[in-house]
Parts: sequence; C-alpha cells; structure tokens
Amino acid sequence: MASASTDRTAVDSASRLTDLRLLHLADSALPIGALAHSLGLETLAAHGVLVAGNLQSFLQGWLAETGLLEAVFCRESFGLAGAAAESISSERWLEINCMLSARKTARESRIGSLTLGRNFLSTVMAIEELPSLGKLLALSEQGKHEPELRRGAAHYCVAFGLVAGLLGFGQRRTVLTYLHQSIAGMVSGCQRLLPLGQTEAARILWDLKPLIVETQELSAAYACDDVFSFMPLLDWGAMEHPALSTRLFVS
Amino acid sequence: MARRVVRDLSGHSTTMATILLNQAERSTAPLAPAASRVSGSLALDFKRDPLSGATFLGESAQEPPLRIVRPFRLEDGSVLVHLHNVSGGLLGGDSLRMSINLAAGASVQLTTTGATRVYRAREDSAASSQINHFNIGANALLEYVPDPIIPFAKSRFRQRTAIDIEMGGGLFWWEILAPGRSARGELFEYECVELKAEVNANGRVIAAENVRLQPQLGDLTSLARLGPYRYWTTFYIVRVGIGAPTWIAAEQTMRDVLTRFHRPGEALWGVSTLPAHGLVVRGVTMGGSEILGNLRAIWTEAKRLLYGREAIPPRKVN
Repeated sequence: MASASTDRTAVDSASRLTDLRLLHLADSALPIGALAHSLGLETLAAHGVLVAGNLQSFLQGWLAETGLLEAVFCRESFGLAGAAAESISSERWLEINCMLSARKTARESRIGSLTLGRNFLSTVMAIEELPSLGKLLALSEQGKHEPELRRGAAHYCVAFGLVAGLLGFGQRRTVLTYLHQSIAGMVSGCQRLLPLGQTEAARILWDLKPLIVETQELSAAYACDDVFSFMPLLDWGAMEHPALSTRLFVS
Repeated sequence: MARRVVRDLSGHSTTMATILLNQAERSTAPLAPAASRVSGSLALDFKRDPLSGATFLGESAQEPPLRIVRPFRLEDGSVLVHLHNVSGGLLGGDSLRMSINLAAGASVQLTTTGATRVYRAREDSAASSQINHFNIGANALLEYVPDPIIPFAKSRFRQRTAIDIEMGGGLFWWEILAPGRSARGELFEYECVELKAEVNANGRVIAAENVRLQPQLGDLTSLARLGPYRYWTTFYIVRVGIGAPTWIAAEQTMRDVLTRFHRPGEALWGVSTLPAHGLVVRGVTMGGSEILGNLRAIWTEAKRLLYGREAIPPRKVN
C-alpha cells in the first residue's frame, strides 16, 4: 500500500511538473519575440477593417480556419516526437515545415512564424537537454532547402508540437495550449492596436475557450495535406503589412 | 463519343497528380447513377522545335466535353489554345480531367472561351469535379489565364490542381472565383466549392491552398473570410531558379502596380513572395468586371520583369 501510495505521489508530482513546464513554454513571457508579431492584424486595424467590436467574431473565424490549420500541423509534429525517441525523421520534419510554408503565402507572416519557431527551439535547447532535437536540427541544417528554412528555422506551431512531444506533454493538451496562447497573443496585440480595454480583452479570451476546445477536437480529423483554410482578408492584411507607413509590429 | 487518342499522356508525374486523383476518387459524396455522369478528359503535349524555336502541339487526346480547336501561333513563337467545355458547363457528377505537358523550352498560353459555369446539382448527384495536372519542363513557360469560375445556386464543385515546374520553367497562373451569378443577385448560394492547388518547383512544394467553401455552414461574409467582398482571385507568378533578392525587389514593384487597383471597400489587392521561386498576388473585390483587366496589367508587368517582353493577352470577345 505504501509503495502504491508512493508511486501515486511520484506520478502526481511528475504530472504537476509537466503542467508547469507546458505553462512556461506557452507563456507570452518566454523570450521568443511573440509580442512583436501581429500576423496581419495591424494592417486590418490600420485600415479600419478590424475594430474592437468585431474582434471576437474575427477570432472565432481564425480558429475555424488558420487555427485549425496550425493545430493540425502542431499535432503532426507532436507525432514525430513519439515515433522514435532517439532519432526524429529530418526528412519528415522538413516536409512538414515546407508544407506549412507553402500554405502561408504572406511573406512577413511566414517568416514571422519561422522566426518564432527558431527562437522557441533555441530557448528550449538552452534550458533543457534534448539530444534528439539537437541531432534533428543539425541534420536539417545539412540539407539543401529554401533559404527561409535554413539555420534551424521551423514554424512555431510545428516547433511547439515537436518539443511538447519530446517533453512528454499530452497531445490534446499541447494543441489546446498552442491554440490558447495564439488567441491570447492576438488579443494582447489588439490591445495595442485597438481601443480594447483589459476587462473586454479578458472576456473575449474567456468566451472563446469552448471554441478552442472544439477546434482542438476537430483537428484530429485532418492530416496536413487535407486540412482546409480560407482567410483571404487576413492574407491581404499580412501581404500589405510591409506597405504600412507606421508599424508597431514586425509582421 | 468519338475519342481521338494518339498516346496515353497520363503518366507525366506520379507524385502530386496521383495523390490528387486518389483523393478525388475517395469522395464521400454520393455517386450519381452511371448514366448521368459525364467523364471527359483532355491531354495535350507541347514541344519546342529545336530549329525554329517555335512551340507546337505534339500529341493530344480529347474526350468530350473537353475540347480544343487548334493552337494559334503568337508572334513570340508561343502558342495559344482555347479550352472548350462543349456542354457549356459542369453538371453534378461530371468528372473532368486535364493533363497538360510542356516539354523543355515550350511556351504555351491556355485560356477558356468563357466562364466555367458550375450548374445546380441534383440532390442525388456527386459534386462535379475537375482534376488538372500541368507539367512544365525546363525553361518552358505556361500562361494559364482562364475566365472566372461561377458556381450557380445549389451547385457542388471540387477542383484539384497540381503544377510541377522544372528548373528554368515559368508560370503565370490565375484563378477567379465568383460568388455566383452576381448579375442576378445570386451571392454565395452554392452548396460547396472545394479548391485545392499545389505548385511544385524542382519537386518541392512552394505554394499550396486547400479551400472548402460552404456558405450555409460557414459565413463567407464574416471578417475572417471575405468580409464585404465577393470575388476571390489568386495569381501565381513563378520562374524556377531566380533567387530570393530578385523576388523581394519584384514584390515591391508589383505592389506599386497594385496600388492602381486598390480601392478600400471595392477592391483589395496584395502581393507577396512565395517561399522560393515566385510571387503570389491575391485580390478580394466587390465586382468582377475589372478583375481580368487588372490581372492583365499585373501579368504584363510581371512578364516584362521576368522575361523582358510583353504579355500577349488572348483575343477574346469579353
């Protein structure tokens, strides 16, 4: 009995540690530059397309489209980690990142995603020893591929999924956490772009939680090559961001 | 139906084309009775005459309703071909396949004789489908400049496109999706439009889109999608082998061109470099009447930048 109780305590403790690590990696305070990217929202706000009054509706649409897309890719790369503890397929890793790059047609947003992914991986490598990740990144750098994918670059959702898998977080919680912090990041960014108060921002994020759960559940039904996504206005916003005369955000 | 077959040209690429064919055939939509389904196909193989440098149509296989008349020579040595659907449009359950191959150095312009009309589907019929594969050989050039796709009320349509481009190959490829027969006030009354496209350069994907539009299930007028706009346009501009700095400069040049067409509330146009080898232009507009003219202007500028010569828009009634 004492042994079973000790085992349970050890499991609880490990589970709490996992929870804390996942929270930490998803925190906007993680030094990866997440607060510097609006991913096209700044253009929409600058042109009066996105306002405080339609932000929640916009984010609902984001979850159904881009959110679903990124959740699927996050899930796919999570699966890479589970495939083999000692070596991860660098070919499949590159393929997943290429596929997502091809779907992200707006240059600044695409590079923003890759930059965040690279910064995320660098930060993780600095705080936790993950030999298989180091080996994967070294192999990836040897491959011949497009300039944007060199020097350890990887899309943020893909990097997040892989690291979560390597650290033993649950897949469902990983995707939920990724989606939640994406939405939280956009809401936070909009507080700088729009007259959006803290209470209203908190309410929006609170009210979107059921849809975040739904999106995570739906993501299990798709693979990387068959998930749908359609956000032409946000695409336009991201494409036009370089043309803004005044910019708070990098993308 | 008469079928003029010279050689089976369906095996040019076994990568994306095969995957797309398999996916389309795994459709979960109900199959229409065999008698009411039309299967048509078009396979065209273009080559370059090494002596004259001119492009010619080598082999072709045409199964109605897809037809071409004959290639027309353009003054720059390329050929212009009009793609016909002799049945006037796509009906529920129709299954059309197009396979276009450009051998090394060939230069081809493809256009349609009119809009692609997707008619209302019967309750028990499958979605109409079109599967396209374009293979562009080394230093070849394909200019695919069709009229819009107009999905009628209650229509269901699925299109899959795979484009494979070898080193030095070039592509100007656009697609316009209308909201319906807008002149009749028919807006987003179709049941489902699925558009899936992939552009591969030297075997690596550089652009991909996978869109499913079901207006009754997901509001297309929401801000996250089209907002107040109705038409959606995509234009890929690719030349494999040109480096990133050139494309960054081209992106700015094209952005300057697009400012002429930019009218918030009426038309928004954007441009961006692809991960490699090209640019994409996207537009969302209220009306459709100016889109082709705008695209021709963008095409002209892009071709001048990439090839040092003018685009030759096809002569058409519209």
